[in-house]
Order: sequence, then C-alpha cells, then structure tokens
Amino acid sequence: MNKRKLKSKILLFIMLAIVSLVYILPIALMVLGSFKTQSEAVRFTLTLPENWMFSNYKHVVETGKIFEGYFNSFVITASVVVLSLVFGSFAGIYVSRRNDRSGRAMYYYFIFGFTMTVQTVSTFALLQFLNIYGSYLGVILIFTAIRMPFTVMTFASFVKGVPKEIDEAAVIDGCGPIRMIFSVLMPILKPIMITNLIITAISVWNNFMIPLYFFSGAGKLTIPQTVYSFYGLYARDWQYVFAALVLTVIPVTLLYLGLQKQIVAGMTSGAVKG
Amino acid sequence: MFSKKKNNIKNHYPTWLTIPAILIYTVFFILPVIMSIVLSTTDWNITRLTEPSFSGIKNYAIILSNSIFTKSILNTLIFATATTILKTLFGLILALALVKSFRGNNILRTLYYLPCVLSIVVVGVLFTAIMDYDGMLNNILRAVGLDFIATNWLGKYGTAMASVISIESWMWSGFCMFIFIAGLQAIPQSFYESAAIDGASTWQKFRHITLPLLVPSFTVVITLNITGGMKVFDIVYVLTNGGPGFDTQVLNTYTYRAFGLGLLGEAAASAVVLAIIVVIIAFIINRKLTNREVEI
Repeated sequence: MNKRKLKSKILLFIMLAIVSLVYILPIALMVLGSFKTQSEAVRFTLTLPENWMFSNYKHVVETGKIFEGYFNSFVITASVVVLSLVFGSFAGIYVSRRNDRSGRAMYYYFIFGFTMTVQTVSTFALLQFLNIYGSYLGVILIFTAIRMPFTVMTFASFVKGVPKEIDEAAVIDGCGPIRMIFSVLMPILKPIMITNLIITAISVWNNFMIPLYFFSGAGKLTIPQTVYSFYGLYARDWQYVFAALVLTVIPVTLLYLGLQKQIVAGMTSGAVKG
Repeated sequence: MFSKKKNNIKNHYPTWLTIPAILIYTVFFILPVIMSIVLSTTDWNITRLTEPSFSGIKNYAIILSNSIFTKSILNTLIFATATTILKTLFGLILALALVKSFRGNNILRTLYYLPCVLSIVVVGVLFTAIMDYDGMLNNILRAVGLDFIATNWLGKYGTAMASVISIESWMWSGFCMFIFIAGLQAIPQSFYESAAIDGASTWQKFRHITLPLLVPSFTVVITLNITGGMKVFDIVYVLTNGGPGFDTQVLNTYTYRAFGLGLLGEAAASAVVLAIIVVIIAFIINRKLTNREVEI
C-alpha cells in the first residue's frame, strides 16, 4: 500500500513538473529573448543572452509608443470601471430591492444580455451615426454596456443578502435615497465592488476586439493593439517584440501577484454565478 | 406623511437609480442587436451607408451558399468543442492534483492561472515565436531527436487549427482548474470516509462520489467554454487571421473580413447567425446538465 502511494506521488510529481515547464518555458523565452541581440533572439532558444541588451527596452519605449498605449488603455479602463461600478450598483440595488414587477422585469432585461453576442457591425454604424466613432467616449460606453449584465447581476445577488432592515433604519433616521446608498449600503457592498473592479479592469485592459473595430480606425491604439502593431512592424526584430511583450505584461502581472486571491476568487466566482 | 413615506418603497429606491444603466445598456448593446437583425435584411454596404433598402433574406442566402461561411461555422464548432474538452479535462486533472494542499501548491496554482490575466494578443504573439518553423517548439523537438515531427505549425493545413486549439486551452485550463477546485472543496469529506469503510476503491470513489457531485462545476465550465469558444476572435485573428487559406476561419473572423470589405449587410447577417447558434447551444447545455445535478 505504502509503496503504491509513493509510486503515485512520484508520478504526480513528474506530471506537475512537465505541466509547469509547459507554462514556464514560453514566459522564459519571452523574458530572455527581450535581452538578446537580433540574431540571437530569432533563434528562439532558451539560452541566456550573450550580452544583456538592456537597450532593447529603450528602443521599444522610444519608438513603440508603448506609453501612449498605456495612457489610452488607462483612460478607457478607469472610465469603464467608474461608470459600470456606479451605474451598475445603482441598478443592482434597484432590481433587487424593488421586489415589484418593474424591478423583476428590469432584472431579466439585464440578464438577457448574457445570451447576446456583441454586434460589432451595427455598433459601428451606431457610433458613426452618433458621431463618436473612434473616440474615447464611444469605446467607453460600449464597454460599459457590455459589462452591464454581469455588474448588475452580481450587485443584485449581493444586495439580496443584505438585510432590508438596514435600509429601513437609515430611512427612519431621515436619509434620502442618495445618502442611504452612499453612506449605508456602499460600505457593505465593498467586497462585491472589489470583485467587479478587478474583473472589469482586467477584461477591458486586455480586450482586443472592441478597440480594433471602434478605436484603432482613428489611429488610436490601446496597449494590446500597440503590441500587435509593433509586432507587425518589427516582425523580424524579435528582441524588440519580446521587450514590448514584457512591458505590456508587467503591470497586469504585478497586479495579479499582489491581489491574486481576490482576482482568482472574483474571476471564478463571477463565472460560477454567470 | 412621514409614516406614509416610510412604507412607500418607490421613494426609497427611485426609478432614476436604474435609468443610466438601462440607457447605456439599451443604446450600446441591445439596440445594435435589433439593428443587426434589421440591417441583415437590407442591401446595406459601405457605399449605401445611410440608405439601405430592404432585400429580404438575400444576405442569408448569400452567406449560407458561400462555402467559406459554412466552413467558418464548422470551424467555430470544432474550435468550441475541442477547446471545451481539452480545458475541462486539463482543468479537472490539475484540480484533482492540486486540491490537497502541499508545499509549493500555491506557487503552481498561481503559475497555471497566470495566462488568464494576460492579454490574448500577448499570448498570441508569443506563441507565433514558439510555433514558427524555426520556433522554440521545433528547436526542442530537434534537440530531442524528433525533428521528423517539426513543421510549420501555424502555416500548414491541419496543424494550424490544432495549434490554435492547443494554445487557447493552454491559456484557460487554469481558470477551469479553479472552478473545479471550488467544486471539489464543497464535497463533504464524510462521503469519502464512509465509502472507504465500505471498501470502495479510488476509482469507485471518483466515479460515484466526485463526478456526480461535480456536475454543477461541469455545467459552469462547459457552458462558459462552449459559448466563449463560439465567440472566439482575438486568438485566431492574432495567430493565423483565419489562414492558411480559410483553414482556421471562424464566424467572428468571417464577420470582421466582411466588415473590412464593406459588405455590412452580410457581416450583420453572419453576426446574427452566430448569435442564434450561441443562444441555442447555451440553452441545450443548460437543460441537459442541470437535469443531472444532484442535491447534497
């Protein structure tokens, strides 16, 4: 019995070691490659660089417009997070507290969005018509709209777990709706706020399709598109491409390592409920 | 008056609370869906942007008789099915391996989940360096004497689709792993203990306790991956852009191509077809799997 246990433990160890390599090697290739010379980088080997070319990063920062991409991505992501948290939480509170027909109808109206796919072509026409094609505003509003079913649903289900008496006590104390929401409910809603903040921020920051259709046509690039266009321009200069990739993944990776528990819990619990 | 106000729920939660959300959601998400359905029945194109005229089901007839479009539907279904099977399988195996805590457990979980927070573009570009003919994968294969397998993975008929499927599965297996870990942790330990007393083997325990009680996790993982797989765009766009030929063309890349050519009516029709397929599949899966769920 013990021998069998040891055997299965060794097998498990070998399996995990192989799987881990499958995850580590691509990352190692990227990081090592970003410090190599051009002729070394295109060999795509896992050797250490002969000379550490830190200048690759300098070149990418100077020519790759990485920071412009960062700026665009940051503006869009931050705005979407704020808009969807404020409006989404309001709507979530409304649909879960108003237990009448209008509350329920609106809940199902939001949930309906889960089964829908983004209609890129007609959205393009709509933005043209509203004259906000290629603008920050257009992309921000589209992202906010797409995130809405998820945000409203998660807030609604969280608010359901908050005793109604808390609201009523606040109203008896003379709070209007706004004060009640901001000074009484919002502090209680903090966990679901954080979950939504993380999921929205990561999905908007990483999204490629929406800016491709509605933003880059106007020559503005978010960070994933900056990398993509950089890759298109420097297809043979892999040392620069690798450096650009590293620069793109650093902020998200740091955020992930710092907030790992919340990110994983948020992304998977969100999926479970969705 | 005060007591009347207290009982009036409408005053506590006024309707304006939900108006901004409803407005943004309706105008920028639901309205385009309706527009798509309408515009897909017109001869709308880039030269007739503002004055499309009704053309019935002509766009649907055009795309459905287009072999590239039917191939895209088939490819999308292949992609969604294959990635779902791989992600579910790997996710489950990794979850079973990592559900019990041991030293280094957390590091491994962190590592396997890492691709999920990265942009698909980063993963895509990185993997073109790996799957290239002179890429890392072939270098490794040559180093261990398997050079007869080495090929231009993303540029050849057959292997291109398999490569895209593998890369997508590499990215998201860790995500499924965490859903399964949560599901495994919810199974009461006492079930296994009493099964052990009855002399059940490891396989019997897995087959008759773990699997049935994991059905809710399977429902989530499968629904999410199938519908997500049907909507695939970024990874295909970055890795192969539908090529070689139309070997990896999926519905969303087909739509983008029609859009790029200015054939807006056709693009809208193809987007509507995708939406219909996604709704039907999500509905069927939910029906099938929720029937199998057991109460603990």
